[in-house]
This record gives sequence, structure tokens and C-alpha cells, in this order.
Amino acid sequence: MLLAQSSWGAIQKPTNEVLRIGITQEFENLNPVLMQMMATTIIYKMVNRNLMTMDATPKWIPQLVKSIPSLANKGARIYTENGVKKISANWEILPNAVWGDGTPITGYDVKFAWTVARTPTVSVGEREQYDQIEDIKVDEKNPKKFTFIYKQAKWDFARLGTFYVLPKHLEEEIFNKYSKENEGYAKNSQYTRNPTNPGLYNGPYRVEEIKLGSHLSLIPNEKFYGKKPNIKKIILKLIPNTGTLEANMLSGTIDMVSELGFTFDQALAFDKKIKAEHLPFKINFKEGLTYEHIDLNQENPILKDVRVRKALVYAINRDNLVKALFEGKQKKALHMISPMDPWYTDDPKKITLYPTDKAKAGQLLDEAGWKMGPDGIRVKDGQKLSLPFMTTAGNKTRELVQVYLQKEWKSVGIDIQIKNEPARVFFNETTKKGKYGGMAMYAWISSPENTPRAQLHTANIPNAANGWSGQNYPRWTNPEVDKIIEEIDVTFDPKKRKNLVAKVLKAYTDEVPVIPLYYRAEVSATPVNQSGYQLTGHQFSSSNTIENWNLQ
Amino acid sequence: MTTFIIRRLIQTVITIAMLSFVCFYILSLMPGDPVDILASSNPHITSEDVARLKALYGLDKPAYVRYMNWLKTVITGDLGYSRTYKIPVSELIGPRLANTFFLSLAALGLSILVAIPLGIIAALKQGTKFDYVINLGAFAGISVPSFWLGIVLILAFSVWLGMFPAGGTFTIGAGELSGWEFIKDRMKYMTLPVLSLTALQLGSFVRYARSSMIESMRADYIRTARAKGLSRLTVVLGHGFRNALIPLVTVIAISFSFIFSGAIITETVFAYQGVGKLVYDSVIANDFNVAMIAFMISVAMVLVMNLVADILYGYLDPRISYG
Repeated sequence: MLLAQSSWGAIQKPTNEVLRIGITQEFENLNPVLMQMMATTIIYKMVNRNLMTMDATPKWIPQLVKSIPSLANKGARIYTENGVKKISANWEILPNAVWGDGTPITGYDVKFAWTVARTPTVSVGEREQYDQIEDIKVDEKNPKKFTFIYKQAKWDFARLGTFYVLPKHLEEEIFNKYSKENEGYAKNSQYTRNPTNPGLYNGPYRVEEIKLGSHLSLIPNEKFYGKKPNIKKIILKLIPNTGTLEANMLSGTIDMVSELGFTFDQALAFDKKIKAEHLPFKINFKEGLTYEHIDLNQENPILKDVRVRKALVYAINRDNLVKALFEGKQKKALHMISPMDPWYTDDPKKITLYPTDKAKAGQLLDEAGWKMGPDGIRVKDGQKLSLPFMTTAGNKTRELVQVYLQKEWKSVGIDIQIKNEPARVFFNETTKKGKYGGMAMYAWISSPENTPRAQLHTANIPNAANGWSGQNYPRWTNPEVDKIIEEIDVTFDPKKRKNLVAKVLKAYTDEVPVIPLYYRAEVSATPVNQSGYQLTGHQFSSSNTIENWNLQ
Repeated sequence: MTTFIIRRLIQTVITIAMLSFVCFYILSLMPGDPVDILASSNPHITSEDVARLKALYGLDKPAYVRYMNWLKTVITGDLGYSRTYKIPVSELIGPRLANTFFLSLAALGLSILVAIPLGIIAALKQGTKFDYVINLGAFAGISVPSFWLGIVLILAFSVWLGMFPAGGTFTIGAGELSGWEFIKDRMKYMTLPVLSLTALQLGSFVRYARSSMIESMRADYIRTARAKGLSRLTVVLGHGFRNALIPLVTVIAISFSFIFSGAIITETVFAYQGVGKLVYDSVIANDFNVAMIAFMISVAMVLVMNLVADILYGYLDPRISYG
């Protein structure tokens, strides 16, 4: 480290000529309907715009369209057809919105993307956003205007954050030629064959060069309809080893590390170093939606007793945990909804809170028949109160949390057996098939006002019949919650909807199928002279406002 | 000799075919397929999405059917399509194999060039200070973790001295370079990974060269050669070194087998666009087409280089013949 310190003064602050960003995760081609990697979605936001997006507050805002249709602004209306409630919503693309080759973006591009995404030979991952639409009618007189006909009337019909638009004038011929063969369109799309074609992009930047597994170079899109970006060139460089990110910044190889870079502990350590040695960088922390928690397997005979589950939460001091391990930069979780979500509540009248109370934990365990044994571990009918505790092997933060909690539970007479597995096995076999026995620690990724159907509905308990899909890994069943989840989908009044969510949270915190731990924070590193940059903490990344970034 | 080579080539092809099935089958035994991995990271993927994608990718079929489909495609010269990167495997793996080849070849060549003379001198000066220093260096090279060495090299040569870039394969945005400019640019990025790999390989080569040479110099034919009055140089190089080469050829030939396999840690630390990290990621992401082609190249290289080693024995040692 002494070696390195002598050159700090030599670190050059980047200018608006070029910004080199380090990213640790691989990216794929930028065809929006096909992309599945997180890194690709971050890069995509630099070169393309959606119909709408979410800002950092977080609030839904229009992007390619003039306004977001709603029942209130009369942009949408509910009607009944053959006994089914449907929605019709009118959209209009901005008059000056064009593709990078100058071709206007119209409703025909929207309809084309919808057609491609619903084609069985095209490997689209998440298709729900497209599938919910029954038909798209484009106004022939003004093709900028179009109407969506939704199959069902759901409150979130206009939350089209992952509905992407494709340039029909470039892609239609290819699609028509290859759409009959499996993945034929994906293999021959211009995004695959000719990714530097300016007509593929409509955002503030367009692709100058792309080398998968290495880097991507972007230059301003001269035809962008919005504010012109300040930075003349953006280079995204893949640096797979997070341990070398800091050295890459210090050597001037990169100027910035995106939110897909430093691990939280690395960011904390680098932040201290920056402050101590006055380095020209800044570490950004932003509270996020990712929810770190412990699933309690409802099929485990010990954990079937709600008193044991409650005792597990009362026994641990999560306030101390986040202070000791994260210096308070990651907040304690009360349930699966983060404080940045409008559905969040910490009202003790609406949810059950669990302040640390070891005496109460002991009392609950006594009531459940688990009496303290001579070796400090509780016993019932000759059986020790011992629970397996699993997580992803090699994740330093999680392993530290495990050790911390193991000690806490030991103090109330619960023996914890730590047994970790590689992420691949843990997620694809153990948690999904309920083979984790007792407790499994991992994170749920969410978005604001996201109905927790995948994680809490009984239909989403993975099993052979549903192809092991769904993420209700605790295997929790509550018919009332199932009913409320269905009701949330069709409740248009925001207040009523929030009350329904609170009912779900009440059941969730009462029955404790999951121990909430903390909400993960997003981290990134930027040059000290960079302005206009803002971490969002949700899936619509900071790159969504790249035109505001400035390096003066 | 010709019959021997033809027979071994036929055996090699059969072995590759058999191992291709074994590799495919083992990959298919890993928990989760690409669709499962996708579904576990995206709460919006429904059971309908899972069923649709599995059918589209053919993952709903038994492993042997999927293997036969893969084999049929590969035989026609189509290496398939990467599900991770969404481009044909040939376009993905070709440039990376070339990058890995040049990196591994440079490191291997440098290791051999440095290690063999050092090993011979250490053997001839057995028990001296020079021998101890060489042995110490060799053990250090063998013991040092590659990721640690990589980071130390980056700190020293990139952060402090600023002589070489901290990572990458070539200068981004430098345009299409050619001739000497191209070579200079590539060498700038290859220097640190080559140094790192060389340091790691050097130790074992020095140890092999030294022990092989010591054994050879103790043989009866060395005493005979000396008794005949031959010069020290002729005894050492013509008799001692030539015989010491036989075990060394095996080690070097096997090292050549891995020239296309990639050095995953070194490539990852230096963000070098080689095949090592690609193979690792493709196995983890169950990107079958990429992983299988990479496996097949590795298997073929091991078998072919073993054959080359067997042929070289015949030239180095007249006592070995192939009937």
C-alpha cells in the first residue's frame, strides 16, 4: 500500500471528453426484448428509452410518451366485454422522438415489439408486460398515437417499465424471414449482426463499438430528442474481479465504478480510504429495495410452531447487527417492503414489530415446550432445539451475519448448524425444492408497489406440477393472503390498495414465515468532479439520466 | 511410425466422441438449467414462462436427445448459439481462443526459456548457494497464489510506476491498429498477465529440469562419456541434457495441452479477454454450447499433445520404437 500511496497525486480527474466506467458483470447484446442480464439493462438505459420509467424519488414518469394514461386523467377507461372488465389506454409518442437514423418512432414500432415479444420462437424472459395486452390499435392518421386494449382491468396496467420498443423499419424484414425457426430472430437481429447501426437506438447515446466480455463504447446520439449529453464518450469496461476495481481506479484505467461493481464491504473500506487519503473519488450509498432475509421452512416440524418462529426474531438484535457490520448504511428491515416504497409502513397498529427481547424469546420457547438443557441448548421430548442455517457459500457478508446470529440464538438455547452451498446449488436445488431444512438466508429483489405474488402466494410454492417455478421458498400458505393478493391486482383506489397491502404485512409479520434482516444499499464510486449523477436504489438505474452527468 | 500415428489418431477421435457425451451428461446433471437460473433471479417469470422457454431451448427433453441434437449441429460445422451472450459460439469463442493462445504461449515460452537453463545450472551446482537461491525462488513461484501475485503486479507496475495498464486486452477506442502499432498495443496489455503466469509456471519447470538433470548426470553413460575424454560442454548438453529432456518433454507437452484452456484467475484479475473466464461463466450459467466447445478443445489438445510427446520420445531416445 505504501507503494501505491506515492502516486495518488497523479490521479487525473476525468473531463467531459471521456468517462470510463468499470462494471463487474457480463453484458449481452442490446436487443431489449431479449436482454436478461442486469448489466445489459443498465447499459440499455444509456442508449434507449422506454415508454415510461421510474425516477429516483421513486415516481413513474413518461419518457418516450407525452403522458402516462390513467383513469384520473381520462387517458384510460374501463369497459366490460363479454362479461370481462377490460381497459383501453391511449398513448402518444413525443413528436420529436426519432431513432438514431432519423426515422420517427411511432405506434407501429410499439406494435412490432409487442408482436416479436409474443412470438413463441423468440426467447423473451419476462413476457407478462406484453401478454397482458390483447391488441394495439395504431392511429393511421397520426401513427404517433396508439391504443392498448388490456385483457383484464388491473390497477398497474400503465406500469410498463419493461415494455420495450423495437425499430420496425430495421427489424421487421429480419423478423419475418427468421421468426419460424427457433431463436432465428435473435440470431439474425441487427442488434446481433450490426449492433453499431445508429437506427437501433433512440437514447442520448448510441453504440460506437461493442466487444462482448470486454467493453462497450458509446458516443452521443445526434438525433436524440431530449437534452444533449455533456460527456462526449462513455466507455464501459468489464472488470470481472471486484478485488481489482480499486487498483483500476487508482491507476487511472477507469474513472467510475457502476452500481454493479463494489461489494458493500469493499465500498465501505474504499470510502474510508478516500476520506483518509483525500482521493478524488466519492462513494455513493443509496438505500435500495433488495430485501435480505431468512426463510423459515414451514415444513420443518420445529418451525411449524409460530411461537418458535417469533422467538427466533425476538432473540436477535438487528439494530446492532446493521450498526456493527454495515455502519448503519444498510437499514434494518421490518418486512419485505422497503421504506422507499409507497406501500411501506412501520405503524405498530398495522404490523407486528419485534424489538429485541431475549426474555420474551425464552418465554415463548418455554411455552412451546422447549426447556433449557444442561448444556445450554433447549430440549423437547429428548430432541435438541437445533436448526440448520444455510446461505450462499463464499459470500463474506452473509457468512458474518450467520456467525453473529448463531451467537444470538445460542444465548437463548437454540443450536444453529451452519451449512452453506454454492449459489448455483443453493438457489436451483435447495431453496427451490424446500431442501434447506430450517433456515435459508438470501435476498429478494423487488420494485416499488410490486404485489408480492411470486413470494407469498400459495400458487407460487415451487413444486413438480408448476415446473418448480415461483419464489415462495418458505412454503407459506395463508388463504386470506392469497385472496388479498388477488384483490390488490384489481383495486384502483391507491388508499384501499395500501390498506390491503397492510393486511398482507400484518399476516406476514404475525406468522413470521420469514425473518426480515435488512434492506441492501446500492453502492457506486464516481469521480469527485462528477455532478448530475444519482443512484436510484431500484431497477431503473442511474444511467437513465446519463444526459445530466457532467464532469466539470 | 505411420501406423502408430494413424492408430493413435483413430483412438483420439473415439476418445473425444466418448468424452463429449460424458461432459454433456455431467453438465446436464448440474442443478438448474438456464431457465431455472433466470426464474430464480426474476420474480416476474411465471410458470408459463418457464415451460415456454424450456420447450424453446429443448431443455424439456432427456439429456441423450439434447446431446444428439448438439452433436448433429456441431458435425455440420455450426457450433451453436450462446444463450448468455446471444451470439453464435464461433464468433464468441474464436477471438478469445486467440487471445488465450498468445497469452499462454508467451508465458510458456518465457517459462521454458528461463527455467531450463536455471534448472540445468542448479543441477550442475547442486548444494551450492546458487542452487539454494534457485530452489527458494522455484518454491516461491509454486506457492504464491495467482490472484495475489496479479494484484501485487497491478499495484507495482500500474498504480505506482504507471508503466502498464491495470487490465484489459487492448486500448479501447484506439481504432483499427495494424503492424507494429498493433503488436506494441497488445504487448502493453499482455506484459503483466504474462509475467504473472510465467512466475507461476517457472517454479515447477525449474524443479523438473533440475531433478531430471541431476538424475541424468549420475548415469553410467555420463561416466563413460567423461572417461572417453569428451569436453564438459559435450557431456552436459550432448549426453546429460538430451537424456534429461525425456521426462521434461512430457511435462512441457502437457503444459502445451492447456494453451487453449485459459488461465481463469489471471485472466479475471487482469480483465484479459481470454477463454478461461468465458468457460467458467458458461459452466455456471449452463451455457451448454459454449462450455461444450471449450471442453472439446481442451480434451483434443490434451490427447494430441500426448501423442506429440510419444512421437518426440522416439526421436530423443533411440531405445524407444513404435512397432
